[in-house]
Parts: sequence; C-alpha cells; structure tokens
Amino acid sequence: MKLITKNWGEIDPLNIKAYQNKSGYLALKKVLREMSPTDVIEEIKKSGLQGRGGAGCPVFLKWEAATAEKLQDKYYIVNLDESEPGTFKDRAIVDNNPHLIVEGMTIGAYAIGAKKGIIYINGHYVKQAEILRLVLEQAAEKEFIGKSIMGSAFDFEITVFSGAGAYICGEETALINSLEGKRGEPRLRPPYPAKEGLFGKPTVINNAETVANIPFIINRGAKCFNNIGSQKSPGTKLFCITGSVKNPGVHEAPLGTTPQELIFNSVYGGGLREGKDFLFAQIGGSSGRLINRSKLDYPLVFGDQDLPIGSGAIFVADTLCDIKEHLLSWAGFFHRESCGKCVPCREGTYRLWEIAKRLKNKDLRPRDSENIEDILWVLERSTFCPLGKFAATAWRDALAMFKDKIFK
Amino acid sequence: MARDGETVLEAARRAGVKIPSLCHHPDLMPSEGICRLCLIKTNNSKGLVPSCQTQVCPDLEVITDDEEIIKTRKVNLELLWADHAGKCAQCAKNGNCELQRLAQEYDVDEFKFVPRRNELLSDDELDMLKNNWIHTVYDDANPCIVRDSQYCVECRRCIRVCRDIQSIGALEMNYRSSMTNVGTPYEMPLDCIFCGQCANLCPTAAIVEKDETELLLKAINDPQIIVVAQVDSSIKFTFGELLGCQVGTNSIEKIVSFLKTLGCDYVFDSSALANLAVVEEAEEFIGRIRKGGPFPMLTSWCPSWIILIEKYYPELIANLSSCKSLQQMMGVLIKSYFAYRKKFNSKTIFSVSVTPCTSKKYEVRRSDHKSGDIADVDLVITVRELGRLLRRKVIDVEKLPQLDFDPALGISTGGGLLFDRSGSLAEETIKTVVERLTGKKISLIDWTDSKEKNVKEATVVLANQELKICIINGIKNTRPIIQKIISGKSDYHFIEVMACPDGCVGGGGQPLPSDRAVRLKRIEAIKAWEEKSRLKKANEDPVVNTLYHEFLFKPGSKIAKKYLHTSYVNRNEALLKTLYKP
Repeated sequence: MKLITKNWGEIDPLNIKAYQNKSGYLALKKVLREMSPTDVIEEIKKSGLQGRGGAGCPVFLKWEAATAEKLQDKYYIVNLDESEPGTFKDRAIVDNNPHLIVEGMTIGAYAIGAKKGIIYINGHYVKQAEILRLVLEQAAEKEFIGKSIMGSAFDFEITVFSGAGAYICGEETALINSLEGKRGEPRLRPPYPAKEGLFGKPTVINNAETVANIPFIINRGAKCFNNIGSQKSPGTKLFCITGSVKNPGVHEAPLGTTPQELIFNSVYGGGLREGKDFLFAQIGGSSGRLINRSKLDYPLVFGDQDLPIGSGAIFVADTLCDIKEHLLSWAGFFHRESCGKCVPCREGTYRLWEIAKRLKNKDLRPRDSENIEDILWVLERSTFCPLGKFAATAWRDALAMFKDKIFK
Repeated sequence: MARDGETVLEAARRAGVKIPSLCHHPDLMPSEGICRLCLIKTNNSKGLVPSCQTQVCPDLEVITDDEEIIKTRKVNLELLWADHAGKCAQCAKNGNCELQRLAQEYDVDEFKFVPRRNELLSDDELDMLKNNWIHTVYDDANPCIVRDSQYCVECRRCIRVCRDIQSIGALEMNYRSSMTNVGTPYEMPLDCIFCGQCANLCPTAAIVEKDETELLLKAINDPQIIVVAQVDSSIKFTFGELLGCQVGTNSIEKIVSFLKTLGCDYVFDSSALANLAVVEEAEEFIGRIRKGGPFPMLTSWCPSWIILIEKYYPELIANLSSCKSLQQMMGVLIKSYFAYRKKFNSKTIFSVSVTPCTSKKYEVRRSDHKSGDIADVDLVITVRELGRLLRRKVIDVEKLPQLDFDPALGISTGGGLLFDRSGSLAEETIKTVVERLTGKKISLIDWTDSKEKNVKEATVVLANQELKICIINGIKNTRPIIQKIISGKSDYHFIEVMACPDGCVGGGGQPLPSDRAVRLKRIEAIKAWEEKSRLKKANEDPVVNTLYHEFLFKPGSKIAKKYLHTSYVNRNEALLKTLYKP
C-alpha cells in the first residue's frame, strides 16, 4: 500500500505540473472550497494520524491546542531536521515528491490559523534545501501558497530555514530556540509550543513525514486511512532499512508490520546478504532498542512501551559485527550531539565515550564497568530532556544481550 | 507553611530541609533546572523531577531523600568533580566553595571518573587529561576580574545576573557538548563594566575578583614605605561576616585592628571626608543651577557607572559630575596634604583602599587619577581578598586590641556621616544645596517610588524652581532613564547611580553570600547606626574647615579642582574598533 511513495520515480520534483498531474493540490483545493478549519481537524482526528517523528503523538491534539489560542500570529513548522542516524526518509520525500510537504503543511496551517510556515531543514541537506526553495517558488507562482491562496481568504507564507547540523534541534523546543537565534538547547515544558512557541506565539511542529500524509487523508477520507495499518496506529510508515540486508533504503509499509517481514521479505529488506547471519536489529536509530530473533515477530506501532518504533529506522547487524564498534559509535554520537546544558548528559556522555574508547582498545580499567552502570543510571533518570534516556537505551540492551562478548 | 506560587525547593529550604542545587539562586528567579541536583519524587509525577520547577499545591506529597535520589545526586556530583579532581589546594575558593560543600555532604569520590595518578598507564589517558586543559580559558586581561574556565560548573548564574539583573550580557555559553563553557563572544578578553556581580554568584573559582594581596604585603614588608589604608563604604558593616559574625555587625574595631596588625601604618575611614565631598558636589551642582545646565547632573562615584557612560553613552559625559569618588579624594589628599603635614615624601606613601568593589581596581588605574606619576590610590583590596589574608596570616582577630580609626589626614575622624548606603550622597548634596540657596534646613527627604522600576525620586523646592532628584541602583534600572535623558525627555536635575543591586552593600567584592536577604540586613544595620550617631554638619566638621582653611582655599577653587575633580574619556570609538577589527 503506497500512500507517500506512490509515483516516486515518476514525478520530477522540480516540475510542479508533474505533481498536479498525479492529483497534486486537489486536497488543498477541497479544503479551501469545502471545509472549515474545524472540519479539517475533525478529519485528521478521525484518521488517527500520529506524529511520524518518533513521539507518535496524535496529530489532532497539537492542532486543537493551537486553535484554542486566541492570538492572531501563529506558526506552522515542518520538522525536517532528521538527524537520527540511519534515518533518511524525510530527505527521500524531498528528493522524490516535495510538493506533498508543501500541500500538507498548507492544509495544516489552514486548520490552525497560521499565516507563517517554516520548513526547518537539516543543515547538511544542502541539495534538498535548494529543491525546496525552487518548489516553493513554483507553488507561489500557481497561488498554492502566498496571499489569497487559490482565490480564498487564506494567506500563508513559507520559508526554508537551514539548521546547523545538531541532532538536539530536532527536539521541538530546541528547534524553536534555534529559530530564535539562540543556542539549540531544549526548554522547560510547560509552557508547550502549541500555547507559547516561536517568539511566544502558538506553534505547531509536525514531522515532514506526518505532513506528507495529510493530502491523502483529505483526498481519500479519514476512514480509508484508518483502515490501513493497525488499529493502534493507522496508516503506513517509511521504514529506513540499513545494514547487512540485500535491499537497503526507504520502504513504505503499513504500521503493524513486523521486523521479520521488513527485514526478510523480498518486498522490503530482502533478507541478509549472501553469507551473513542475523545477529540483532536496532529499531528507531541510534536511540532505539535492540532486538534479537525472539522479538522479530513484534508488530511495529506507535506508543508501544516495550519496542518504540522511533523514527522507523531499522539497522540490521550480522554475526560478524564487533559489538564494541557499535557501542563506541553510539557513545560517540550522543557525546557529540549533547547540547551541554545539564550535568548528567554533558558529563555522562563524555565519560561514557571515554570508556567506550578504552573498551574498543581492550584497555578497560577495574572501575570502568561499575562506572558504566552509574553513568547509565543517571542518564536514564536525571537528564533535562529525553536525549539522556536515548543515550542509555542501546547500551542497556547491548549489555543485556552481549555481556560476554563485551567484557571478554 | 508553603507560600502561594512557591517551588518545592524554596519551601523546603525555608523549612530547613536541605535540597542541594548549583544553578538555583534566590536573586535569579525562576530557576532554570539545569544542574539536576535538586531532583525529588512527588505523588504527582513519574520518576525524578526538579524541585526548583515543581510548584507547591494542596495534597502534594514530596520525597526529598531516598536511596535512588541520593545515588543520583552522588553520581552527578562525581561527574562534575571529574573536572575538578586534585585542583583544590591552589584554588582561590579553597575552603569557600559550594562544590566542596556538596562533595562533603554526599561523600563524593572526586576521582571516580578520572584516573588517579598511580593509575595513569596509557598515552591515551595523558592525552585525555591534556585535552581537558587545552580547552580551558584563562582571562586576567582586565584589572578587576579573573576568569578561569577549568573551574566552571556551567551553572549559568553569572550569565543570568549579567544579562537579566545588570542588562549588560557580557557572558554567554560557548561551544557545546562536553566543551560547553561560560565565555565571551569569540573568546575575547572580558570587556564589561566590571561590577563583579558574576564573581559574587559563581559557586566555584571560575570567576573571582583579582587577588592583589601580594602587592599589599610587599608594601607592608618594606620598611621604607608608609602604608596608609582607607576603609571605604559599607565595609565597616560587612567585614565581620568574614569572621563569622552575624550580618550587619558593626566591625569597625575589628577591621582597624586587623589592618594595623597586618602592618598598615595608618587606617582612615573614607567617610571622614564625606562632608567635604558633599560640599564640593553641592558647589558644582549650584554652578549648574546658576548656568541652567547641563541637567541632569549624574554622580560620578561608581566606577562601573562611569565605564558604562564612557563606553556606551559618551554623549552623557557632559552630564557627569566632575567630582572624584570619595576614595580618590581621600587618596589624593593623603599624598598631598597629609604627606605635607607629616613631612613624608609622597613617593614613600603607599595608599591602599579597602573596598566592597571590583571596578575600583579599574578606577585607580585611570590616567587622570594621578599627579605626575604619583597615583592618587596605589592599590584597591576587596573585602574578600582581606578574607584570604585572614586565613593565610592566621591572626586571631578576637584577641586583638579594640582600635578606632586614626584621625583622617591627621585631622579628625570626621563628622560621623556615613556614605555606606546608596542615596546618602544625593540626600546630603540636595540638603546642602537647598540650605545654601534658600537658607532652609531640610531634615528629611521624602523619597517615593517612581513609575520606573526600582527608582526612588523626590522633589525639593527652591525660590523659583523645583529640583527633581532620583536614586538608581542596578544598571538595568538606569536604561529607561538614560533613554529619556538622551531624547531630551528627562525632567531630573540630579541622579545618583550605583551599579550594584542595592548599592555598594551588594558590591562585587563583598563577603559571600551576598544575596538580597543579606543585602537588606546590611542596609538595616547601617541605617540603625546612622540614627544613633551624632552627625556634625559641614560647618562644624574639623576635616572640612581645616582642609579649606589650610589647603583648598574654598569649594570649587582652582586647587580643589586640581586635586578633587577629574575629567572623562570617550571610550566608545576604541571599543567599536576592537569589536570590528578588519
């Protein structure tokens, strides 16, 4: 079932007519001609659409909270910061069908009453930022964005803002700080962005993939969307499968699909490469949990406490891998990307990385294994934002699964 | 009983329950919740939550200490200490450091995450230790404040006080991840107004007042040098805190005994010159009233305020009073009048001023504050540096004889007027002016709150005009008034400004802690003392009479102008040049 990846490869991203030929901007037309903002929110609510960035929060909740605010100035932000390792689905959307994002965010802005939209794009995605700027020019020419869109009373301006390549800026409040010209550090919540966000105004931030689903829901209806995927999580998900599989890349599959299908089914990952045996998979990027063979049949949905789907990245490791390399890679990543605001993350990720280096060099000291436990302890429970927990997740699972291999 | 809107941290501390924190400070509210030491458990939330962010509410149940909480605090402290392990002995805050106190309370192993010396085995580790040092910044380019980022715990108190309380914003966080550190833009040397509030709030030795005690000891130990000390405003009531006395204890005798025992030959009270300073200030103000301006006249006793004007508002230099500060007046008279009377060679006099102020270290180096190459004042020592001398010299101050100040300049101990709290200069000057111009004696000035925040104003009536005066403490509170003056909309005639919150009692060199509650107690003590003392008016004050009669001739005379007045420099262009170097 292809909702987002439909027609990928057939649409020239720099030709708006190609998008229009494949029902492009019909959803926006329907919304502006036949639906009120309340209708739009109701439709999204009935569809059960959840945030695709990793949190899985029901989209309509943020929209309702922002709509309830009486302030005139509101912002609709698309989060294209996409910095989770092993995740490149949002980039793929821009490369293959960027107008999905533009149409989706315009509908979202109409629903909450925002006049200004920003696409916050990962600073490393230089080519994609260029594509988006061209796409916006073309959309404006056709009056799909700008003043009096399609002759209606709705105004909406979109700008592209390039981040500077910080993982933490994918977090809502850090993203807002970055847009305001401040250090990319998370803020205390409450207040929530829907009430007080960018420059103190009500702000809704949705992931690019979430937004890309909106035109389909409007065109085909909430019920149709709801029937796809699983009851807990309707719709499809763009899974980024990497590692020792035959067909790495972006694969769209209904939510509720299991890792077994995604990794081994020839429609998706196509199984491990010649001569390689499955050891473990990491679900959701570097911050994700590890699964061995016993969890391969676990359906991937949002809101699952035992196996969070995260960004939908699936990294497959084979039996020839060196787990210590992975531990060093995870520790190094979180140390680099820690914003530095709170003590446990700033100092903890640094000391964990030092230990990981010693571990890799087979140079572990007597106090190191106790220190690993203590660092994971504080990361899991005392950090300012969830990045601390993310830094500890993979280590915990690896230590549980491969203790002998690590401390041999 | 908890108060409405209070956080659990505040309520607990008031009730005597210890919850640790590094980033919380009562003067900087609301807290930021970044040190993660104040985490607690409540019945309203999952897991650990910061008590500095949790509002008290009915039926709230709180656990402040259990195994999990204590272990979390201990490990977080040990992570912080990894950067500080082994550095205490040489540190300026040794024995006086918030991080050390926490280490004791939580039985911290400072070497937990770093190798002890006997464990250093590999080149990697030496590299890691070296890396730790390479990224530190040591900045002592200015005369007042020293920054050493190796001691920084990134609590951000300095950033917040500089930006939110003083509205200067000279400090911000640089870099990210484990390299995060407090610093200046592009790591340029600190170039601010040197009010020292950052040093007051730093829990460790990352920002400290510059230690110049060696220079004092050198002068004292030289038998050829005559050391004349002056004790500047408010120290008389704060020195005692260094000895463990209650806040606000009158410590005149203790400080004089200490300085004399240390080796100072004479110890004067700067306030002995208070009436003289008021006479000169009043004379200048009357001159302005007769000329019709420039108004408002801005007081010039606070060096940080002068630096602010010279660097950022040079168009207001014409408004500044030309009077030197009390300390500088005393200094120049020591080197001229006193030296002459005692038949000392001025070159052998070492004039040291003990102050609560860091920016006075900048003031004494001003090129206009010397005659030839004889500086008015040779050295400024803050009270906190005296504290370090106390510990080093191990003098038991309790056993010292009770001594009073020497007669200032050999004349007398002065009129009892104190300039230890802000507002005194403005009050006394205006009272003197009104008396001279109308013959009326005012005993009390009726200060009211102006509609600008934290500004107190008053109006007095002359024969054919009203004079509007105001007092401002804290640089942030001056900004709206400055804007009014620049745009010509200000109706004030006289403005007294002290840069530090609550005036000099909150100076950058005062004993710590120096938060609002402490400052208010100090002010109370000073007021109580003022009410008790017998004040001599200027014409009864032997210091004033002798000096004019024997040396200065009359207020505002050429000699008075030469010694007691100064001029200012437009530093704005030079500042812009350093910022925009090609």
